[in-house]
Amino acid sequence: MKRAIILVVNGTEHSVEVQPSDLLVDVLRDRLRLTGTKKGCGTGECGACTVLLDGKPVNSCLLLAIRCEGRQITTIEGLGTPDSLHVLQKAFIDNGAVQCGFCAPGMLLSAKALLDENPAPSEMDIRQALAGNICRCTGYVKIVKAVSSAARTMSGAEGGGR
Amino acid sequence: MKKRGKGIACMFYPIGFTSYPNPGSAFVKVNQDGTAVVFTGATDMGQGSTTVLAQIAAEELGIRYEHITMVTGDTEKTPFDLGSVASRVTYIVGNAVKRAAHEAKRILLEVAAEKLGVSPDGLCAGDGRIYIKGLPERFLEISEVARIAQMGKGRPPIGSGSFNPITTFLDPETGHGKPYGAYVFATQIAEVEVDTETGVVEVLRIAAAHDCGKAINPMLVEGQVEGGISMGVGYGLFEEMVLDNGVVKNPQFTDYILPTSLDMPEIRVGIIERPEPTGPFGAKGIGEPSLLPTAPAIINAIYDAVGVRIRELPATPEKILKALRETDQGKA
Ligand code: FES
Ligand code: FES
Repeated sequence: MKRAIILVVNGTEHSVEVQPSDLLVDVLRDRLRLTGTKKGCGTGECGACTVLLDGKPVNSCLLLAIRCEGRQITTIEGLGTPDSLHVLQKAFIDNGAVQCGFCAPGMLLSAKALLDENPAPSEMDIRQALAGNICRCTGYVKIVKAVSSAARTMSGAEGGGR
Repeated sequence: MKKRGKGIACMFYPIGFTSYPNPGSAFVKVNQDGTAVVFTGATDMGQGSTTVLAQIAAEELGIRYEHITMVTGDTEKTPFDLGSVASRVTYIVGNAVKRAAHEAKRILLEVAAEKLGVSPDGLCAGDGRIYIKGLPERFLEISEVARIAQMGKGRPPIGSGSFNPITTFLDPETGHGKPYGAYVFATQIAEVEVDTETGVVEVLRIAAAHDCGKAINPMLVEGQVEGGISMGVGYGLFEEMVLDNGVVKNPQFTDYILPTSLDMPEIRVGIIERPEPTGPFGAKGIGEPSLLPTAPAIINAIYDAVGVRIRELPATPEKILKALRETDQGKA
């Protein structure tokens, strides 16, 4: 039984018809064509599907879309654009933190949630915040470096973050 | 009790197999605005080959890296490559790109030589210019030379190149021969802490020194080594595919365990450069070799810490506890 709901994604309202069993990750990717959010395991283990729900990182493969009505959803498409990168995105590029890139959207959103709460995280804070996001390629070294360099940039440049 | 130990492991690894044909290929064209396009079948999976191949083309042509456009991995438009496997792309396709760029450059040099009144061999390409060796103030812009070449001389500056380290089948009797084009060498040192009550191993630090001939892009080389070490940590301590009659029993990340950001030690990477005469600008390969010494270094460190030899990977807490009990009983 389909139901029409309003999803607020990256500040824009989308009206979509969903089944009660439709997962947020599938609605984002297949219906709203926001394919920046990746689906890795589909079972809450890898973090590739991380999006922000009211600012908190969640696995969108474990969430029913219908439960997200009226809440603020942020996907990687809402973080920055190629012409106007978020400080974190720029730091990921500058530090070589992206290899295959499959983990990157989830990593970036987990990192954003961290920096929103804790603008001056220690290396341990960063590692803890990213522990639910698996990366097969980088060994996390440059990702951790990128997040701490972004934190420094954001605290140094007043209003540099978004 | 928690006990610490250090272990070391060394390896060498072959790059560019020769026991079967192993070709890569590329086309290069230089445009009238001084930019260039490289076409190659080599596929970037995140290791950074497209970046490295663009750097090689830029260096050979004497134009800026930013002025290279890469067209890769499209079998309709690009010439053949065997694949992003065997740590071969920088070595094999790098050579192919360099040859293709060299051929295009040769046309530019010949055309410029006429204008500058010297022989092509007396010319160099660099900084977007072609200039007389030792007299950089006597130059022509590559954009201008490319325009004259194709519109004035009817010789578009294009090139094609392929590379195949000479195929030498191994002797079927002895298995001897020259199976690879080049070899890389590496050493890694691991420091671990083993909990003798739980058998849990924490890797504290890994130092890695890797020879890659020439690091065309040091940041990417580091990235490969760091990623390889994470695969090596997983291989040494966590990752085990459990098969039952051909069926994978743990096809999930909850029971096939990959290292997370919390499992990874502090990593230090040292790049050793001993240029390989047959490699593009001396480069060899780095992909697979990066993970090879990690697990043996960890296993040696475990031995150093608690005196048990784990001979079957991964070194799970269960195996370590069992080995510890056996040595205790041996002593008693
Ligand atoms: S796809 Fe959601 S956690 Fe892996
Ligand atoms: S860059 Fe490939 S999984 Fe993280």
